[in-house]
Amino acid sequence: MLSKILQERIYSLAILLIVVTIVASVIFPNTFPTFENLSQILLNLSTDTIVAVGMMILLISGVFDLSVGSVVAFAGCLTAYVLHFLNLPVPVAVTIGILASVFIGWINGYLIAYQNINPMIQTLAMLGIVRGLALLASGSAIQNLPYWFNAISQSKLLGVQMPVWYMLLTIILFTFLVNKTIFFRRYYYIGGNEKAADLSGIRVKKMKVIAFMLSAGLAGVAGVLLSSRLGAALPTMGRGLELRVITAAILGGASLSGGSGKIPGALLGALFMALIANIMVISRVSGYWQEIILGIILIGTLWADKVLQKRFSKI
Amino acid sequence: MKHLQLNHISKTFPGVKALSDVTLSIHAGEIHALCGENGAGKSTLMNILAGNLQPDEGTIVLDQLTQIIRSPQNAFALGISIVYQHLSLIDSLNVAENVFANDHPVNKFGIIQFGKLYEKTSLLLQRLKLDQITPNTLVSSLSPAQKQMVEIAKALSQKPAILILDEPTASLTDKETRTLFEILQKLKKEGVAIIYISHRLDELFILADCISILKDGKYQGTFLKQNLTKASLIKLMVGREINSLKSESYRQIEILLSVKNLSGQKFHNVSFNLHRGEILGLSGLVGAGRTEIARAIFGADKIESGDVVLNNVVLNTNHPFDTISKGMAYVPEERKSLGLFSEMSVQDNITVTHNNLTSHIYNATEAAQRSVELKDKLKIATTNVQQKVVNLSGGNQQKVVLAKWLLTNPEVFIVDEPTHGIDVGAKFEIYELLKSLASQGKGIIMISSDMPELLGLCDRILVIKKGTLAGELSSAEATEEKLLTLSTY
Repeated sequence: MLSKILQERIYSLAILLIVVTIVASVIFPNTFPTFENLSQILLNLSTDTIVAVGMMILLISGVFDLSVGSVVAFAGCLTAYVLHFLNLPVPVAVTIGILASVFIGWINGYLIAYQNINPMIQTLAMLGIVRGLALLASGSAIQNLPYWFNAISQSKLLGVQMPVWYMLLTIILFTFLVNKTIFFRRYYYIGGNEKAADLSGIRVKKMKVIAFMLSAGLAGVAGVLLSSRLGAALPTMGRGLELRVITAAILGGASLSGGSGKIPGALLGALFMALIANIMVISRVSGYWQEIILGIILIGTLWADKVLQKRFSKI
Repeated sequence: MKHLQLNHISKTFPGVKALSDVTLSIHAGEIHALCGENGAGKSTLMNILAGNLQPDEGTIVLDQLTQIIRSPQNAFALGISIVYQHLSLIDSLNVAENVFANDHPVNKFGIIQFGKLYEKTSLLLQRLKLDQITPNTLVSSLSPAQKQMVEIAKALSQKPAILILDEPTASLTDKETRTLFEILQKLKKEGVAIIYISHRLDELFILADCISILKDGKYQGTFLKQNLTKASLIKLMVGREINSLKSESYRQIEILLSVKNLSGQKFHNVSFNLHRGEILGLSGLVGAGRTEIARAIFGADKIESGDVVLNNVVLNTNHPFDTISKGMAYVPEERKSLGLFSEMSVQDNITVTHNNLTSHIYNATEAAQRSVELKDKLKIATTNVQQKVVNLSGGNQQKVVLAKWLLTNPEVFIVDEPTHGIDVGAKFEIYELLKSLASQGKGIIMISSDMPELLGLCDRILVIKKGTLAGELSSAEATEEKLLTLSTY
């Protein structure tokens, strides 16, 4: 039983999260376990988590997308552009922002799946292109966005800001889809053995394109939510987000070689990173150290995993 | 170097005795041909000499000195060079860098002397009469035949005392083959011992001084060329007792699948019919195009021209999904890389196609139930269906691949080397399964290099040679001699 739990990353990570939370609550009883602090942590990780869900699906099928951070900025900036300069209604502007993101995902997916361009190169190039497009759309920034647009992220439900609810909704929806639908389960087969999946009748190329579109679409959603929350669209939004998100997904149980990972792992991975960062802020660790410690934690987790797997496979 | 002696060499792989008690003697200045069917043990023997494999028993004696060949580097040092059937060149480097891959001429500071490298390569290329190639030609721009010749140049660069060639002429034209033979004759006069492996029996009678024969890993003897005829050689290669696989035929009159003038990249104008209840064999040498034909019928590779007709309907396919949904199944030759999701469970492996075809919502209970049924039916040895496939034996893995297709209830099964590398017990269970499928009116196309298996199971056998249909034999008239004759002559 214990070995089962330790081998399944989402359980071992959940246990670790609980331990970290309890320890932090004991050490910093006045600053850490407050409603304000905890809901702020959740709000801060909502953008990353929504993007990490899409990345998790890509990683399950054995690919990844480095351009999602730029897509977050692009979607926010394009939506703001449409609102501010074209004066179109909020739902139309949001739809345009998200659809444009999906289109970027389609370009990535098509070139990677059908033209055999390496995913790393393709999405790295797209990272630059899309960041440039975001700059073109917004200049230095677009402010004074309409009230109803800002209300998307700035309103609260049960005292908690809306992005947290959107994040939970995304996690629940995709956990269901990936566990229960044949369509999404195919991604495990594709990541497990692409050629065998193809010979088993799974249209691998088409499925990959859809995964890229989905991932970029979720990045688009995250971008809209982020600029609504900020009340402004900045072309620098989401800078470095792609690496944080891949880190979160890998902490949450995905592997670069594909075939493994579960959707809740995206949330748990992002939550773990956010908790550690928060605790370091509370304990006044210098910002310089935060990145170093996060890096060490990532390597440590993966290494511990290998050691545990080896030990339990012997039993 | 006068003499290479192999004494009582044996090698066992899990489930297969690849070589048993092989004793061979090869002299300097002779061309010694090595013959045998696919799987007779030639490659294993060669890999032992190359240092890639270690024999379980037996010794290798070079000039009265017993040697243990631990690695390919070790083999080079002993003067053994090998020209592999599957090319070992690096496409992104040029000819000279490939030829002297591990042995670049350097000055005393360890800096490569490119002038010398190109000069030496140039001499080798001249010797092989490769006028169109220069030492700085990129290997990726060469034709398969030219690559093969560069491979030979690479072997010669080591100035070998023993040169081993595995099917060197498979991709060569007649002219290139003649050049190669001239070079080999010259090397022979220089005192090099040459071991020549080929399926092209005609060549052996032109080139070789003597011929050794392997059959099922056992040494059948060495004969001077003049003491053999082609017929007697074939008899020695295949003359084994045929086990009593023969069984009743379930072949019906109705035609299930019909392949009409099918052409693809590696095969041309192939036509045949598959009847209900029939087991149809596809025989031929490795690389003759059997697998390519199967993949094209299944929709995995592009068809250039021709039709596949299933139940009187022309199939219009651009993906295996289409053929699978019309009732086809394909068990690929390379089980691990093409057939299995090794890190996934037996259950996930068995249900992949069925689920993909039939439903939208995943029902774990039903998937488990179905896979347990199939696990019991096919006697897949595993503690439970949640076990990862990678932990199963070869035979059980193959049963998992077959189980996957039983769930989709197809009408046509294409099985490619279904018993390759699996133990005898599982082999016979797979034969029984194929027969029972035939008795239910399914059609089965079986590709195999195992001749007794084809002869025992099939109603008819088609022989493929160089991508074309070389002949058809009914079960009554087929013999191993006839099959081999059709596929090699």
